[in-house]
Amino acid sequence: MKHVRKGISLSLILILAVMAMLTGCSSSDTSGKADGKWAGKKIKVQMIGDFKDKTATDPITGKKVKGIDVLKEEFEKQHPGATVDFILMPWEGYTEKTQAMITSNEADVYQMPGLADFAPQGVLEPLQPYIDKDKEMDLDKFIDSQVDGWKVLGKDDDKLQIYGLPFLGDARFIAYDKKLFDDWGVDYLSDHPTMKEVAEKAKQMTGKNPKTGKQNYGIWFRGDWSSAFTLIDLAEGQNGKWGEGFAWKDVKFNFNSPEMKKGLDWLLDMKNYAPKGLVSNQGQEKWLTKDNNVAIMMNQGPGDTIKPTYAQGLEDRIGIAQEFKNKDGKGGLFAGSPLAIAKSSKNKDLAWEWIKFATDEFAQKYVFEEVGAIPAIKAAETWKSTKEMPLMQPVFEAMSSPWTPRYPWGSSQPRFTLTSEVEAALTGKRTAQQALDKAQRESTAWVKNRK
Amino acid sequence: MANNSIELNVRMEVEKVRSKRKDWGLKWYVFLIPSFLGILLFMVYPIFESLRLSFYQSNGTVEHYIGLANFKSVLTSNSFWNAVWNTFFIGIFQIIITIPLGFIFASIINSTKRGQNFFKVLYFLPNVTSIVAAAMIFAFVLHPEMGIVNYVLHAIGLPTPGWLSDPSTSKWAVIILAVWHWVGFVIIICLANLQAIPSEMYEAAKIDGASGLQQWFFITIPNMAGTFAFLLITGWIGALQRFNEVYVLGGPNGSPARSIQTMGAFIYERGFTGFEFGIASAATYIMFILILVFTFINLKVSKMKI
Repeated sequence: MKHVRKGISLSLILILAVMAMLTGCSSSDTSGKADGKWAGKKIKVQMIGDFKDKTATDPITGKKVKGIDVLKEEFEKQHPGATVDFILMPWEGYTEKTQAMITSNEADVYQMPGLADFAPQGVLEPLQPYIDKDKEMDLDKFIDSQVDGWKVLGKDDDKLQIYGLPFLGDARFIAYDKKLFDDWGVDYLSDHPTMKEVAEKAKQMTGKNPKTGKQNYGIWFRGDWSSAFTLIDLAEGQNGKWGEGFAWKDVKFNFNSPEMKKGLDWLLDMKNYAPKGLVSNQGQEKWLTKDNNVAIMMNQGPGDTIKPTYAQGLEDRIGIAQEFKNKDGKGGLFAGSPLAIAKSSKNKDLAWEWIKFATDEFAQKYVFEEVGAIPAIKAAETWKSTKEMPLMQPVFEAMSSPWTPRYPWGSSQPRFTLTSEVEAALTGKRTAQQALDKAQRESTAWVKNRK
Repeated sequence: MANNSIELNVRMEVEKVRSKRKDWGLKWYVFLIPSFLGILLFMVYPIFESLRLSFYQSNGTVEHYIGLANFKSVLTSNSFWNAVWNTFFIGIFQIIITIPLGFIFASIINSTKRGQNFFKVLYFLPNVTSIVAAAMIFAFVLHPEMGIVNYVLHAIGLPTPGWLSDPSTSKWAVIILAVWHWVGFVIIICLANLQAIPSEMYEAAKIDGASGLQQWFFITIPNMAGTFAFLLITGWIGALQRFNEVYVLGGPNGSPARSIQTMGAFIYERGFTGFEFGIASAATYIMFILILVFTFINLKVSKMKI
């Protein structure tokens, strides 16, 4: 009897353990609601950034912002029977998190800034067939250059294809503080300044401010993380370019070209008119405060500029000029976030419907007005909410004229090699020519191993 | 006859207890299954998967076998050896500064009559602080223009270094942070040992006329050997795995100019920002071998028994 009891209790423990394991490992339910055109269809959408589940207070503006349930409600209303669920994640470590999610078939739609790295893995659905058969999707609705910027090579492609469509916009521009310009009696930057103009004005505004008597710096640029892109834009402004090709087998770098050398010399010169800590992303702490001491900020993005400017009441003080462009009007880093469909998605048609919905005015307005992110469609230029923020107009212009397609090495080893060499030059470890030659040599050797 | 019956009864009782123990013994293994599965899935499997990956060129999903090419690539890479140098430089100075400093502080705290617990808590606080948060604060503390360290240096007429914006001082910035963060742990471990040294030894030494300093040199320090060995080994392993603080202070490529990129950061840079999982795995195994070799050397040097 005792043995029977022991046997039962042992079996119970085993059953419980197995149930716990099976519960943990079970796949999620892919079926949605029972009625409607999309009955039983369900998708999971991964989103990165400041999205919130429910209505919450924005820590920058202090205003209540609506949660992403607004999008869920509207999408499910427009698609009867469908269910959409979200997986929200912060920008921190999004690449490795996305890699883990895509490997374990966790979502149907991904917000994917690293499209160029994921498409060659063969894990994404090409979107051109969906665009071709869907009359509701008009690519002209996107701001110029945005679709081209996200074209990448898939696993078996020999020419650039669409694997993602723009969802969040982004851009790089030069921002400046009009008050410091006024204090020093210097004309504001022109809308499309040259390297010479920026350098001259930065030099004029370095020293003790004639009005306040406080130390001012003419210019600041990030000398570490994004310095490679700042340098490439300087080369583009002289009609140079980073190199050519997109697939690794075709890529040829041009990191030690005369334009790059002149660009790095320019940065070395500008360093003399900048705060001490630019190589460690320091010295610009007062930017976008009333005590700001830097006149010109290079390579800025809208996420860190637009919302904080208006939240601080500095809209009359901040100006935006375009980055350096080549003779075709192109230049600067292409950035943002596209939406892509996972090849493993079981509901690709509904996933496509989500992409259409997320790139239409309702969702794009939500993105701008509630989340404070930048919309990617032309219609945004005429919204009341964007017109109330005049700083958005030069942002839209910057979004329409970056270098496209996105630099294929933008998140690979050559980017870190070039960045480290720019830092080496800025800290006096190597001359500009030595640094660029080393970056060229190491990047070429690296890409040779990838072929 | 009676004896035989008693013997039989005893034998039966013994058998009963044995079989009971056997049954209960088996049952406890069931409770170990969840943690065993966890170890199997999250430790054993990644270790072998990483070894396999180190022989492949892999971007996460597409991969092909390339033999030892990843190891060759890592071992001939200047960036990797620079990362090894940085790791060792920061590690060595962290250890040779923190262990003596922590021991001295522990000895002083141990000899105070009042407020021992207060000082223990005070010095241990940095160790319970998140190193990520501490690194962010240190970036401000060591700010070249607005930082408190340079403010003090300037006030007493000393030169003000660029700290994290200068490759020649950035490693020292990390060392200062590492010492500050680890010293509390060293103090607590040393204090535990100090309090375990029998007071009779000191009393005997006093009777023999030994001074306080002589007692410290000839009684305290020799009795601390095991603790020093423990701190040396755990400190080394931690130093060779350093990642969090250098990632916060210098990003994955250890800015400025790779001056604070450690082996851990090198692996992260190649694996998670460059999608070169094969290279990252090969570097991980090389790092593992380095840690193994140096732990072995440390064990020999410190004569610690494991």
